[in-house]
Amino acid sequence: MGILRLGHVDVRVPDLDLATAYYTNVMGMVEVGREVDKVYLKCWDEQDHHSVVLRYHPRPGLDHMSFKVESEDDLADLEGRLERAGAMVQRLAVGEERAVGQGLRFETPSGHVMELYAKADRVGSLLPAVNPAQPRPDGLAGIAPPRIDHLLVTAEEVGDATRFYMDVLGFRLTEQLLDGDGHQLGVWMERSHTPHDLAVVTGPNGGLHHWAYWLDDWDEIRRAADTLAYHDISIDVGPTRHGITRGETIYFFDPLGNRNEVFTGGYKPDPDWDVITWTEDQMGRGIFYWEDAINERFLTLHT
Amino acid sequence: MGIFRLGHVDIRVPDLELATAYYTEVLGLLEVAREPDRVYLKCWDEHDHHSVVLRYAPRYGLDHAMYKVDAADDLDVYERRLTDYGCTVRRMSPGEEPGMGEGIRFESPTGHQLELVHRVDKVGNLLPKTNPPPAPLSLPGIHPPRIDHVFLTCEDVDGATDFFMDILDFRLTEQLMASDGHRLGSWLERSHSPHDLALITGPQGGLHHFAFWLDDWNAVRAAADILAYHGVRIDMGPTRHGITRGYTIYFFDPVGNRNEVFTGGYWHDPDAEPITWTEDQMGKAIFYYEGAINEEFLAVHS
Repeated sequence: MGILRLGHVDVRVPDLDLATAYYTNVMGMVEVGREVDKVYLKCWDEQDHHSVVLRYHPRPGLDHMSFKVESEDDLADLEGRLERAGAMVQRLAVGEERAVGQGLRFETPSGHVMELYAKADRVGSLLPAVNPAQPRPDGLAGIAPPRIDHLLVTAEEVGDATRFYMDVLGFRLTEQLLDGDGHQLGVWMERSHTPHDLAVVTGPNGGLHHWAYWLDDWDEIRRAADTLAYHDISIDVGPTRHGITRGETIYFFDPLGNRNEVFTGGYKPDPDWDVITWTEDQMGRGIFYWEDAINERFLTLHT
Repeated sequence: MGIFRLGHVDIRVPDLELATAYYTEVLGLLEVAREPDRVYLKCWDEHDHHSVVLRYAPRYGLDHAMYKVDAADDLDVYERRLTDYGCTVRRMSPGEEPGMGEGIRFESPTGHQLELVHRVDKVGNLLPKTNPPPAPLSLPGIHPPRIDHVFLTCEDVDGATDFFMDILDFRLTEQLMASDGHRLGSWLERSHSPHDLALITGPQGGLHHFAFWLDDWNAVRAAADILAYHGVRIDMGPTRHGITRGYTIYFFDPVGNRNEVFTGGYWHDPDAEPITWTEDQMGKAIFYYEGAINEEFLAVHS
């Protein structure tokens, strides 16, 4: 069936200790592995080894994004498709990425390094798989989202990038933001029957706008805002609602300048979904439904 | 026991039709009576005749606020205390305002016209008193269950706070102190809530906002959806206050009066100690998530 979901984001941070403190104490992820220049983290309800890698690098931003596919056959199939589309595909051996099975690595037309893999070491969530005694583990620090949700990257030619992600990798378009000429300014695409696993907006090639964590409901959003304010984390926008995706959200920055989101709500698009279109004149409502306006920082700041 | 809650606000609006459309369709209040230049409104779970009066006037703002007292004797007590304080107190006879019983009217040292009323005609909420369902169905707009508090501006918050506490028996829940030790704002209650009345530094007689209660954070979200759908301009929120711990949205009615929807907070008993916020933490005190106050919030009042 191809791509299942966003597997992990590998993020550059200029201060590994500071970033680790933030992602464990404020975001409330669990540290699962550490090397000299990398820290591996997961959310409490994720079964795979990790979903975020913090990688020491002088400049913040995205090193690569990694999506999980269902089977090794999918890797062979997608490798063929990528090569026919002209991509240079590198095969990754088992363990070349820590705790990750064999995979593919390539650069997308939007200038992002992307990986696909079929297997990752299963470390289990923080609850037993037999008779879990409670719906959520006790004593989690910080926001403690159950899982990562999606990422939003920037591209100079959103239309070209969208065709690649849809035609070659099988992403399905849920919503699009069109300018007055009918060009795509932004697209929201899914593989997991959610409003988006990957979104692309106009901006420099290779840029990261944010990656997002799932929260269970609007009350968890409120709690997340309380936690962020308590820790003096700079909130970019929110709590608010999106027109696009209908989700509820807060945007904020990690201490190195990478933008995070917590997200909930939305809808459940099946493969027979008809695309929703937003026009540029309604862009304010499309992005921030309540404010009907977008702050300058949200449009211009990315890593 | 004296004052037990905010009874009504009487609001000046330069366009009565537009204001009525907004307060009934977007806010979702019920129209209970109408005169050529006034419309009387209530929230669905209130039993008294009305909690908001829209009054035609060329300039928007607060005409007066009314607090309800428990007993006819309370009126005598407060009339005496107010007169001793130096206020001119006028007795109001029943029916002088529609639905209102006996009352007194005076100008507070903050420059606001205030009323205390003992009895109000009961018209009932929208639910039966026998075997009621928890809420009526199909109400329009935000339809808050009740009005909550009013927030006024005055030049001397210290003096005004003393007046409301000493003469009218309000209890202080929180105060915002300037670095030189005087109060920039105070939050006062008579109903065991975080505030029935709050004061902030500003011009005498000014209205910063009046607020409606919502049941929870989910209702705050639903209110934001309704405001956005109707194109109502949101001033701030949904967000959280440090002071009161409440959740809030501020927005403007179409003639320029600021409204709030509010929920959360705590239960304040008369033996509670006031909470103090210092000026250097004012951002978090007012808007806890943002840690900052927008210029409009500080400068715009009616």
